[in-house]
Order: sequence, then C-alpha cells, then structure tokens
Amino acid sequence: MENSKKNIFVVDDDNMYATMLADHLEEHGQYAVRTFSTGEDCLNSLGDQPDFIILDYYLDSEVPGAKNGLEILQAIKKADEDIRVIMLSSQEHYGIALQTIAKGAIYYVIKDLHSFKEIDKVLEGM
Amino acid sequence: MKVSHSLLSARLGQMDMFNTVPSAILDQLAAQSAILEYEAETVVFRKNEPGHSLYLLLEGGVKVHDEDYTVARLTGGSCFGELALLDEGPRSMSVTTTQPTILAIIERDVFFNVLRNEPEVTRKIVGMLTQRLRYQTDRVVDQLRQREQELTRLVDERTAELMQQKEEAESLRAKAEAEKQEAEYQRHRAEQSEQFEQQFLANMSHEIRTPMNAVMGMTNILLQKNPRDDQRKYLDSIRNSSHALLVILNDILDISKIQAGRMELESTDFSVTQVMEQVMSTLRFRASEKDLAFETRCDPAIPPVLIGDPVRLQQILLNLTGNAVKFTEQGGVGLETRLLASANGTCHLYFEVRDTGIGMTPEQCARAFESFRQAAADTTRKYGGTGLGLSISKQLVELFGGTLAVQSQPGQGSVFSFSIHLKVSAKKSLPKESSLPADIRAGLARLRILVAEDNEYNRVVAVESLQLSLPGVTVVTVENGRAAVEAVQMQSFDLVLMDVNMPEMDGLEATRAIRALPAPLNSLPIIAFTASVTKAEIQRCEIAGMNVCVPKPFKESELLAALHAVANQSASDLKIMAETDEMTEPETVQSSIGLEFLEELTGGNRERIRKYLGLYLTSVQTAIPRIEAALAGNRGDDLRRTVHTLKPQLRMVGLLSAADLATAVETRLLEGAEPASMADETSQLLEQIRQSADIFEDYLRQQA
Repeated sequence: MENSKKNIFVVDDDNMYATMLADHLEEHGQYAVRTFSTGEDCLNSLGDQPDFIILDYYLDSEVPGAKNGLEILQAIKKADEDIRVIMLSSQEHYGIALQTIAKGAIYYVIKDLHSFKEIDKVLEGM
Repeated sequence: MKVSHSLLSARLGQMDMFNTVPSAILDQLAAQSAILEYEAETVVFRKNEPGHSLYLLLEGGVKVHDEDYTVARLTGGSCFGELALLDEGPRSMSVTTTQPTILAIIERDVFFNVLRNEPEVTRKIVGMLTQRLRYQTDRVVDQLRQREQELTRLVDERTAELMQQKEEAESLRAKAEAEKQEAEYQRHRAEQSEQFEQQFLANMSHEIRTPMNAVMGMTNILLQKNPRDDQRKYLDSIRNSSHALLVILNDILDISKIQAGRMELESTDFSVTQVMEQVMSTLRFRASEKDLAFETRCDPAIPPVLIGDPVRLQQILLNLTGNAVKFTEQGGVGLETRLLASANGTCHLYFEVRDTGIGMTPEQCARAFESFRQAAADTTRKYGGTGLGLSISKQLVELFGGTLAVQSQPGQGSVFSFSIHLKVSAKKSLPKESSLPADIRAGLARLRILVAEDNEYNRVVAVESLQLSLPGVTVVTVENGRAAVEAVQMQSFDLVLMDVNMPEMDGLEATRAIRALPAPLNSLPIIAFTASVTKAEIQRCEIAGMNVCVPKPFKESELLAALHAVANQSASDLKIMAETDEMTEPETVQSSIGLEFLEELTGGNRERIRKYLGLYLTSVQTAIPRIEAALAGNRGDDLRRTVHTLKPQLRMVGLLSAADLATAVETRLLEGAEPASMADETSQLLEQIRQSADIFEDYLRQQA
C-alpha cells in the first residue's frame, strides 16, 4: 500500500502553514508529504520524484534573498516537466497567479481558511 | 471714342521713352499697334502670365494690382507693361480696367522689327527701360522692406501684447497662489492653535491636577492619622479650599471645552432618581447648615433607566441647585423633575430648581448666562464662584437639546427650568453599584503592587492611600518607567500602577517594554495613572497595552474598582480559553480569537491544535521583534515580509481582525508607504498578536 501513496512536497517558509497542510494531507492517507522551508531544499530533493509540489510564492521571510516561488517553479519545470505544481500565496494577486500558470503551475491557491479544502479538490481532480 | 493710328503716333511721341524716336518710325509703330476698347473691370493681363507687349493707356483707367492689393492706378497717357519689351518674363503685376478704357498694344516683335535699323534709339530705349526696371525693382525691394518692417512691427506689437497678457496671467496666478498659500497658512495656524489649545488644556489639567492630587491626598492621609482638633480644623480648611480650587479648575476646563466645541455627551444607561439623590446628598448638608428647607421631588412615572450622560446632567442640576442654596438666606430650595410625555422609546423630562433667594432683575437674568458674569459685579466677592456655572449649565442643557430658562424677581427668588428628551433604555434596572465587599478587599490586600510615579508627593499619596484602603498590601515604588521595567523583572508583582508622564522612560514606553518581556511578565496587569483624562490620552494608554486608566486625582473607590477589575481579569478573563475536562466546546472565546477553524480542520484533535498553536507562538516570537526592529529601522521590506508571512497564520488561529490589519499594512507597504507612517497600525497589530500569544500560552499551560 505504501508504494501506491502519491508523493507530495510542500514548500513554504511558513512553518505553521506547511505543517498544517502536511498533517491535513497525510490524514487522508493517500499522500506521503515532505515539507521544505526553502525552494532550494526542494530542488535538491527532486530526485525523490514527487508527484505534486505545493509551492508558496514568497519564500524569503526566513532567508532574505531566497529565490521566490516563480523562480523555483521554473527550475522544477526545467528539471522535470511532468511534476505538477500547485502554487500557494497569501496574496490575491491576479498578475502573480497568471505568471505562475503561464510558467506551468496547474493551480493557484490563496492561503486562507478555505485553502485546505481547495487543495483537496485540486488533488482529487488529478 | 475712336482713336486713330495717327493720334496714337502723336501720343507715342509725347512719351519719355519715345521722344527721341523719329516720327516716321513712330508712325510705323502706331500703324502696327492694335487699338482695343475694354469694358470696365476687364483683366488686361494677369500676374505671372508671360508678357510680350507694351500697353499705352489712351482713354479710361486701369489699376495695377497684386491680387487684392492695388499698387497703382493709371489714367490716360500712361504706359504699362513696357518691361515686356526687355524679355518675355512673367508679369510682376496684374492689370485690370477700372472704367471703359482704350488701350494701344505694341507687340515686342513688332517693336524690335520697326526699330531694327535704329540701334541708337533702341539702345536708348532699352537703357531707359533697364533703368526703369532697376527703379521698379528698387521700389519693390523698398516695398518689401517696408512690409517686412511693418510685419516686424506688428509681430513686435503682438508679442509685446502677448507678453503683457502672459505677465498679467502670471501675476494673477502668482496672486492666486499667494492667496492659496495664505489660506493654507491660516488654516494651518488655526489648526495649530487649536492643537495648542487642546494641548494647553491637557497640560493645564495635568499641571494643576497633579499638585492638587498631592495636596488633597496628603490632606486626606493626615486627616486619617488622628490629628489634634486644631490640626483637623486646618486640614479641613485645606481640603475644602483645594476642593473649591478643583471645582474652579473643572469649570474653566469645561467652559473651554464647550467653547471649543469639544464637549461630547456620553450615552450610557442611568437613573434620573440616582442623579437626583446624588445632588441631594451633596447639597443637603450645605442647605441644612443654612437652615434652608430642601425638597426634591422625582416623578415616579419616569422610566427607571434612561440613556444619556448622567455626569453632565448631574453637573447641571448640582450647579443650579448649588446656586440656589448659595443665594438663598432663608426659606428653601426645591429640585423637581416631571415626566411631560413619553412615546416611541423617548421621554420628555422637565427639570426645575426653585429658590426663595435674592432673585434677579430682568437685566441680571439676561446677563446671568454669560461666561464669567454673575448677576452683579460684587456677587463673586460676596458669594464666591467663578461665575461660569450658569453659563456651563446653559450650554450643557443645549447639548442635551434643551433650553435653560429663568424666571426671577429681586427678593422673590428664582426658578430655573429646562426640559430635555432622553431615550428610554430597554433595561428595567441598573446593575447595583456595589462597594467592594470585605472578602474582595481582603483579596486585594494580598496583592503585590508596583507604583511607578515620578512625583514624590503623588508617590506617597498613592502608597498611603493603598495601604489605608488595603491594609497589608505590598507596595513598591519606582520613579520612572525604566526602573519599573527593571523592577518587574527582579521582583514578582501582581500589578503595576503606572504614571503616564514620567522622565527618562514614560509609562507608555515602559508598558510596551513590559509587554515585550517573555511570558508571564508580559501579561502583568498595568493600570495607567494619568492626570490628562482626554479620550485621546486614554486611547494612547490602551494602545500601549495598559489594561485600564485611572484618572488623577483618583478617588479611592475608583482605584479599588480598577484594581479589582484588573486583578480579577488576570485571574479569570485571561483564562477565557479554559475548558472543562469533558470533551466539550471551549466555554467562551474572546470575540477576536477563535479556534473554530483549527477545531474544524483537525476534527477537534486537541493534540494537533496544541501543536499548531505552539507553531504559531514560535512564529510570533520571532515575528514580534522583527516587526519592532523593522519599524524602528524604518525597513519597509523586512516589515512587509514578516507581516505577509504572519497573515495566514493569524487567520488560522481566528485573529481575523489582526489578519485584516496585517493585510492593510502589507498593501500600504507594497504601495510604497514608509513603515513609520504606519506606526499606529503596526503597534495595534503587535498588541493584538501579543494578547493572542498570552491567551494561547495560558491555554497551552492549562492543557499541559
């Protein structure tokens, strides 16, 4: 059974949100979730072949100057076109959403109270 | 009229050009010329047409013109177009007849053919024509030059005109600008002077109240230390005088406030009966001292609880009734209130204060309500008072929406009356105002209190008052905010009584510093002890993180109530997250904080909620100093990043208003605002975060 679980990477410098999301996804049982607080860490682990990456847009709160989600998204897509990336942001910004979709993200989720359910739905639809 | 060729020959001979030409040749020329008759307004030739003939004007007249511009008018005997003899170049002008005209036309070819054997004559004629051409060219050049000069002049004139207009516009604009600046300056000055005035009032209230507090407090302390009878008499006198001084001070502050339009009425539940009783209990003693009958009548039909400003209503009644007692030597004073009407949740009340005192003439009545005026100039000397009481009362009544009226006759006494509309409260009774029961006093007496106050006298007053009211209470004093922040870290206190204005570090800053200390020190209850009692000041205290404000000079009851409230709060209110052992919903959750979302997300999994709250606390512990540092260093980017990350976390733990605040701050920073311009919002945000952290810490402790 363990092998049938989908691998999900959660990349977010907001430890609280990342933990909550990871717990939430694992609770349902179909997912094995790993969290990363920087995009660079996530890129270093792409060899583990995640099925999905849930990627926060702003990643520089802990490490000033850290690459933002858009750059990481591009690096992920360059490394493996097939990894599906869901973007996360705590900002409702149409321009950013559009940019990330244009760069290959499959969905853009606003980090509000509905975000967990929204991510559930997106993953179910895959 | 018919012109013959012989006549033409004679005419030719009269012309300068031909006067040396032999007549035989002239005859030949005339014979080979065409003589034509023209109607008026007929074009002879046009400008720029190639010219190949010379014209001789025999009868009538032509104009030589350039479009509409007539250069010359020619009449009989003149010759034109002669330059065509020199070459076939285009005509420089047009020629049109102005009347019926007869012209002789000599073709260039004919001319030179006839003169082919007369080189001398030809040379002479050509020389003359050349000269004429030069002359004509010179004239054209002159004309051009003239027209150019004319144009230059016109341009200069027009330019000058425009310059003048521009200058006028400039000066108008400058004037408007100057007027605008002046208006701006005046507005600024008005605002500034209003600010100065407000500041002055606040300072005045502070500067006078602080020493007054000391005088009154010390006097009370001495009075309680069993003074000798003579000493008691002096102390009573000090107390009465300082009380009178406080009344005057309050009058002056009130009238200034009213005149500045800054007096606002409160809207709270109150009982008219209680207000009347208060007035009576205050004045009964004075009335009985003067052997005056003192009656109050309160209409039982008046609803028990109304909505309004009991303090100001009492002030009006106390003032009017106090005056009545003051100005009445015999007879009595009556205070009465009646219900005039009641409908749609509003009641119409009538108040009347009646005395049998000295009374006033109609002129005196009219003047009585003016500020600083009493009925007669010697009244102040004889009866005391600021003369502001009536004026204040009148204006307060007006703030209530009524009119203060007076009926009086000298020696017959006076009747002051007014009627006002007040809303009826839905409540049927006011909560009982309880003086603190003995067990609560005993509880308060176990408190360890830190008093931070720079004024030595006030310090002593505070300590002695606390010790007298709460025997056995522990009181430690410090002289400024910095010492207070140090003291709370060295010694354990239950609460801090903090003066707001202190040297070195003021109460607000000290409060913020204490709130930034690690738990549980950061939740230490702090009572602001302030002499400035403006709304803005109270708000500043609250924003800084103080729990409650007690105005100076404080009343013992107020101070104890605040102590009780704050001590109580520390024991219960801050534990609102408390939860029973059974797996039930948390009892009550402070309005702005809710774990509903976490409950729902985790399906009520306590362990996970604790874990997330722990993460939240860890996060805010780094966020708070970051926000403070970013704010202090005016580093917008740091502030924005930190606030941005906090935003979803605040939502998760139910701090929706804080999340909104964070969003607002972030948005404004993204728009390029300076962090310093958002100090208020940011400190509010910090305060909400700190409060939430305190509550969650408590919650986690209890759960552990």
